[in-house]
Amino acid sequence: MFKNYIKIAWRNLIKNKAYSTINIGGLALGMAVALIIGLWMQDELSHNNYFTSKDKIAQVFQSQTFNGETDTGPAIPRPLEKALREGYGDNFKHLIMATWTNDRYLKYNETSISRSGNYMQEAAPELLNLDILKGEKDGLREINSIMISESTAKTLFGSEEPIGKVIEVNNQYNLMVSAVYKDIPFNNTFNDTEFIIPWEQYLSSNEWARNAVDNWGNNSYQMFVQIADNANMEQVTDKIKDVKKSLNEDSIDFNPQLFLFPMKDWHLRSNFENGKQMGGRIKYVWLFGIIGVFILLLACINFMNLSTARSEKRGKEVGIRKSIGSQRGQLIYQFLSESFLVVLFAYFLAVALVLLSINGFNDLARKEIIFPWSDPIFWAISLLFILITALMAGSYPALYLSSFKPVDVLKGTFKAGKYAGLPRKILVVVQFTVSVAFIIGTVIVMQQINYAKNRPVGYDKQGLIQVPVMSQDFTGKFELMRSEFIGSGAVSQMSSSSAPTTAVWSNYSGYTWEGKPEGFQEDFAWSQVSPEFASSLNLKIIAGRDFSREFATDSNAVLINETAVKYMGLANPVGKYLKDSNEEDPAEPLKIIGVVKDMIAQSPYEPVKQAVFAYDKDNSSNYYNMRLNPDQSAGENLAVIERVFKEHFPSIPFQYDFVDQEYGRKFAAEERIGTLSGIFTALAILISCLGLFGLTSFVAEQRTKEIGVRKVLGASVYSVWNMLSKDFLKLVIISCFIAVPIAYFVMNGWLQEYPYRVILKWWIFALATVGAMLVTVITVSFQAIKAARANPVKSLRTE
Amino acid sequence: MLVQLNNIFKWVQSGGQRIFLLKDINLEVEEGEFISIMGPSGSGKSTLLNVIGMLDAFDEGEYNFLDESVHSLKEKDRSRLYKQYIGFVFQSYHLLDDLTVQENLEMPLLYKKMKSPERKAKVADILDRFNIVAKKDLFPAQLSGGQQQLVGVARALIANPKLILADEPTGNLNSTQSKEIMELFKQLNQEGVTIVQVTHSETNAAYGSRTINLLDGRRII
Ligand SMILES: Nc1ncnc2c1ncn2[C@@H]1O[C@H](COP(=O)(O)OP(=O)(O)O)[C@@H](O)[C@H]1O
Ligand SMILES: [Mg+2]
Repeated sequence: MFKNYIKIAWRNLIKNKAYSTINIGGLALGMAVALIIGLWMQDELSHNNYFTSKDKIAQVFQSQTFNGETDTGPAIPRPLEKALREGYGDNFKHLIMATWTNDRYLKYNETSISRSGNYMQEAAPELLNLDILKGEKDGLREINSIMISESTAKTLFGSEEPIGKVIEVNNQYNLMVSAVYKDIPFNNTFNDTEFIIPWEQYLSSNEWARNAVDNWGNNSYQMFVQIADNANMEQVTDKIKDVKKSLNEDSIDFNPQLFLFPMKDWHLRSNFENGKQMGGRIKYVWLFGIIGVFILLLACINFMNLSTARSEKRGKEVGIRKSIGSQRGQLIYQFLSESFLVVLFAYFLAVALVLLSINGFNDLARKEIIFPWSDPIFWAISLLFILITALMAGSYPALYLSSFKPVDVLKGTFKAGKYAGLPRKILVVVQFTVSVAFIIGTVIVMQQINYAKNRPVGYDKQGLIQVPVMSQDFTGKFELMRSEFIGSGAVSQMSSSSAPTTAVWSNYSGYTWEGKPEGFQEDFAWSQVSPEFASSLNLKIIAGRDFSREFATDSNAVLINETAVKYMGLANPVGKYLKDSNEEDPAEPLKIIGVVKDMIAQSPYEPVKQAVFAYDKDNSSNYYNMRLNPDQSAGENLAVIERVFKEHFPSIPFQYDFVDQEYGRKFAAEERIGTLSGIFTALAILISCLGLFGLTSFVAEQRTKEIGVRKVLGASVYSVWNMLSKDFLKLVIISCFIAVPIAYFVMNGWLQEYPYRVILKWWIFALATVGAMLVTVITVSFQAIKAARANPVKSLRTE
Repeated sequence: MLVQLNNIFKWVQSGGQRIFLLKDINLEVEEGEFISIMGPSGSGKSTLLNVIGMLDAFDEGEYNFLDESVHSLKEKDRSRLYKQYIGFVFQSYHLLDDLTVQENLEMPLLYKKMKSPERKAKVADILDRFNIVAKKDLFPAQLSGGQQQLVGVARALIANPKLILADEPTGNLNSTQSKEIMELFKQLNQEGVTIVQVTHSETNAAYGSRTINLLDGRRII
């Protein structure tokens, strides 16, 4: 029997090619989107699955409260290590201190490369479950050793044996390769840890880190733990949360709370607001999941509508089958097998579409998703997916078609359209509601991005590059290099700074000033800059003056930004002092000599933080900021800069970033969402229009005779077109009325996350409405005009 | 007794009024009979035939088929009953357009859940008997009206029904084709199949053993 059903279904598909194309094509599109989104969600949810002890691994986080606002972050002080090891050691299987992930120059013979990595304690390879390809697992035991990733080994040593080779790190010290580990896959934290150097090495080469062993106030390190097999995260957190408070009286004011931030939350739930965990990327996993379901639903609706629209044709078959002994259940089964067949075809087409588009999608979404050919679970889920889609698309038509009474159908008085009209209309409204809501959502995301992009950054980021100069080789060379670069003609102005212009690397508290309110817990973005900082960035001085090398006293001078003036409540900031709040051994007070415009260093969606730019008197430059000579092309300038750089630092790779590009990266996440939702919206509209197109052609076909009669009686093409289009247009207008408030509500909620946000304007909604109507009219018109222009004599003869 | 209708009424509501389609119909059909139903267009012939065939319900009265009371049967049992005992022949043939002759013939057997070898044998048998073996792989649209109706009759017959209900089986055929079908009916009747046919033609009615006349839903003879 099943064979028989499939045979009929197959012949039906072949016979109605246009219908089949719309049906299978639309479904395939919908399923492809759902598949891609499914793969993407799976990728997001399986983040960090590389680590076998994922459930037991955590990072120690700390929340501290300043002026009633709680900041949460991973930075912890060194003495915490001793406190946890000695007081709570049996709660942990492994505990490792680590630095931040940073770039280092690795040099072997003539090959010098820049790689990112960490300094970590001995248990790191165990905790990270490193797959050791060569060498020893406890490769961090010796202070002068280094573990490197497979790809790092390949770049440095080619086919040579890496183990035992000596690498020079940052031209500072030599380390011997003790192990090579398999690269940590893309979809995992520590993916960018391309080497690991023993923590002891870090301490021995950094005096201030060594000295921080008892300093509870220096929150500059990371700590990763794997809890004991029988322990659980909440209980351990309960035990350790007040450790810092109890051992460090000075910190009580800030109420430091320690807690374990479990690895399974690192990727998807990493937002903290006022000390509370508040979700994170998981929101987008949900959002795209919902989009996927909706798009699949749109495609299923097409299937339902086209099936029921064809019911007049199928009705006869139902009548005959019932009269020769078919029961309703058997007919339902038949129609479901048909939809199963169609969905199966659509699925294979969808897989083909996914294969064609996966690379493009990976680029857009910054993913490395591979089609899971060999994963049996994927195929099992696919089968389930096919069945569910077939049920979703096929059950309504099956129930509807199988309900026909044989007498009605066989007598020939049967008119199907009438009965299925309302559900069909409702489904079209659902489709267009989703499409219109998608349009509005996408437009608002794009607007918000543009709005933030057009926000004045406060300085001139075009024609500006930053060169990282973090190794010891650059120490004390700034003056020389500045005159060399400017002398070369490629650079018109140059400064140094302790942080890149597009980020805040240090925050500082510990100042008092005239009129500072009692108990005010101050906190400034803080960086050290050379005197040319403002002039190289074209950062405007709006009060007072810039630094000057003429004044020796400027070594104890600072510039502050506009926000800092308001923050400190100063009416006339210029000439005031920032004093050290440590009364026992105070540092020199710093004189405010000027106020600069607010410059966006952090999120372009948030207010600029109060900032202090201090005169760099102890060579703490981490970046050179170079204003390129505007009279030459960037390429020419860069070639000259690189040549000069290489003359002085032959063994260091020349690296640079254009500041405007670096700044542009701040929009990457939102732009990805914008692009993806744009694509999904386009697909949603395409699918809905496919359905509408199919529906109109059926309606036109059903009404061929009526149209013929009308035309014979003198109806114009316009009036026939109007008659056919009006109904659909009405439905789309209803959709707009439903979609607009929903979209407004959802998008308004999304925008609340951005303190600097675009104001929703009514015309966005009007635009989406008009757009949807226009698309409807165009789609419907294809068929309507064709029907209206057909020769009436021909259509009347067909009966 | 094959069919026994006692005081059958059927009506539809229209504007608060009952419009009677069948009025107080009494009819008995013995096994082996060949009955013709006649009457002007709209007099209720098809309605009566559909009621007998259990495709349509009635509103009042009793209907016994082989001593089972149809009016008190559930939909499912009714379908089992007519699937087993009744074959339909329609004026416009009503073959499934997407199936070949052979597949059309096979269909009722599939619904009876007959095993494949037995099914194949039966189909081959009937193709042979109706002399349409050469046409077995053609689709209905590729046959003439007379040939289509031949297939229609073959399909009605294939499951060995006791009763064949034919609603104007020759209405769309020319006189030669009509004659062929009527001869076939006559032969089937002689082999023991009970036949009830609706017809407008006196000639065709004459093939039957008796005629029933309807007017406005009422039996007049
Ligand atoms: N469902 C229905 N509703 C209203 N009138 C009906 C319905 N079915 C049949 N009729 C009417 O009942 C009458 C008898 O129909 P029918 O049995 O088809 O007549 P015949 O086959 O004798 O030409 C006709 O007037 C027809 O219009
Ligand atoms: Mg009739």
